[in-house]
Amino acid sequence: MPKHIARLIVLMVAFAAAAIYAKSYFTVDSFYRYGHYRADSVTDIASRDAAFLTPQACASCHALRHAEWSGNVHNTVICEVCHGAAQGHPGKAKVAIPAETQFLCTQCHEAMAGRPLTSIKQITVARHPPGPDCIACHNPHAPKIGATIEAAGDVHAGHESAATCAGCHGPNGLSPNPDWPNLAGQSAAYLTRSLASFRLGARKNDMMSPMAQPLQDNDVRNLASYYSALSCKAPAARTAAPSAPATATLAKSCAACHGESGRGSSNRSVPRLAGQNAGYLAAAMKAFKSGDRANPAMAEVAAKLADADIASVAAYFSAQSCGPNSN
Amino acid sequence: MTNCDDLERPTRRFFLRDLGRGAACAGAAAGVGGLLASTGQAATKDAPAHEESFPTKDYDWTKHRWAYAVDATRCIGCLRCVEACKRENGVAEDAHHFRTWVERYVYLEGEEKPRVDTQADPVNIAAAGSEGRYRFANRYEDAKVEKAFFVPKLCNHCTHPACVQVCPTGATYKTKDGVVLIDHKYCIGCQYCVQACPYGARLFIHAKGVTDKCTWCYHRVVKGLKPACVEVCPVQARLFGDLNDKESDVSRFIRDNRVQVLKPETGNAPNVFYIGLDKEVC
Repeated sequence: MPKHIARLIVLMVAFAAAAIYAKSYFTVDSFYRYGHYRADSVTDIASRDAAFLTPQACASCHALRHAEWSGNVHNTVICEVCHGAAQGHPGKAKVAIPAETQFLCTQCHEAMAGRPLTSIKQITVARHPPGPDCIACHNPHAPKIGATIEAAGDVHAGHESAATCAGCHGPNGLSPNPDWPNLAGQSAAYLTRSLASFRLGARKNDMMSPMAQPLQDNDVRNLASYYSALSCKAPAARTAAPSAPATATLAKSCAACHGESGRGSSNRSVPRLAGQNAGYLAAAMKAFKSGDRANPAMAEVAAKLADADIASVAAYFSAQSCGPNSN
Repeated sequence: MTNCDDLERPTRRFFLRDLGRGAACAGAAAGVGGLLASTGQAATKDAPAHEESFPTKDYDWTKHRWAYAVDATRCIGCLRCVEACKRENGVAEDAHHFRTWVERYVYLEGEEKPRVDTQADPVNIAAAGSEGRYRFANRYEDAKVEKAFFVPKLCNHCTHPACVQVCPTGATYKTKDGVVLIDHKYCIGCQYCVQACPYGARLFIHAKGVTDKCTWCYHRVVKGLKPACVEVCPVQARLFGDLNDKESDVSRFIRDNRVQVLKPETGNAPNVFYIGLDKEVC
């Protein structure tokens, strides 16, 4: 073979080898795995977090609101349409309570050319009485005037089913054992949520779980109404508060959700703490801390408390008079 | 006369493409010869050895075939979908970047052509009060409207996507479950795909220098959720589901209705199925 041809072939082979090496060097590993693209980019996109969490996520804490909403005509409008995406809530992110209700409601309900009447009820804003605040007359969760505002239970039926509960929780909903909770005067929404979570297994307890499992939706609602209607007047024998100033300061931070002195707030799915048995309160906080009871908001709070803090906070709330609701 | 079959199967184009591929292969084989042996290992990459589910451990993309349906007769033009899409996907909250949008077609008495506007029209932006909020102005309140309707639009996630064909870097691609995605790391911002898309469904993010588009909220879909626009629609005008599941919302919708797609003549074979469109809608 002539020398110049051999040289040319060597050069071509070297060039081709360099090109192939460069291609494999610059192409990321996942590029041709499934096709002419980077397979890792699919994983990247798929691993992003969702912003809209759907009503199932809301229901785990806002059970009563959810029940009210899901039984009424607005149940095709998910919570996050009006309240905004719930990403990061509960936790740092707050969910909005809409302020400009007329602007919000008329985004769907303003009569307009092209908006089919078969899809949605519409109003001509100028002719619709009486004012700019829609929620003055309409409950946004049950917007039809006269719709059931709250799915209340039957107190008398609750009284009958409560016979089984009395063994542990006392005949008047005041438990004889300080490790078991008082139920009298507790918020109905909280009782509904607790019973429902025992029943569905979201919350577990060796004694409560088998009691709650045979209950029906109606039983839960009736029991909750019955116990919330009872007086939570504490027995006279209750010991006085070891009211150290540090404990009072610590307890103040609970007031944001649990109300002044733990007497409940306008958010009725948060339990009242005032007058509750100290042993039960301490056990509950420890369960939140260890993760045995799942509640993101309480887990964050309880994680910061030492065992001694838990005992003193429990004693503090237990000694509070459970007078009328602070709101 | 045009035959519908011709629209669906552009056979001449495919023939020429295959011919071109054949010629290229023959040339390469003759020219490079033995070097092909070294690229043989690249070919084996196509078939992954492990049988794990992809892209996440709970979701296998070979088991699904997603499709989307729009019932334009139900849409009320409330634009909750547009706002939810922006929030869910972090799209700029202005009047220039939309992964999904809603068009309004209004036929006035005595006019032959419809008047078309979207939420990005200045009149509608004024009605919303700011560019971060969206609502349709009641601008035809005093006009004599003969007929009017809203049409939600989004990426059609076509079976033969023109945008994927023109991408020079492999930054946009079609997944095995039927979703067209963009790899922002590989996108060079040339915008060929923006021009190739017959539906105007792609947008360009100037701040990042990359193209963006609807993903059918792929990150939600792999978690078993619906796309955000479907989730928030108060009147079920938007539906999403798996064509492999004969009882999914979309399968039933396609079975129960006479559906159509937008611009079938382009041969892209869209996967967003509509009912309730007029001939003027494209």
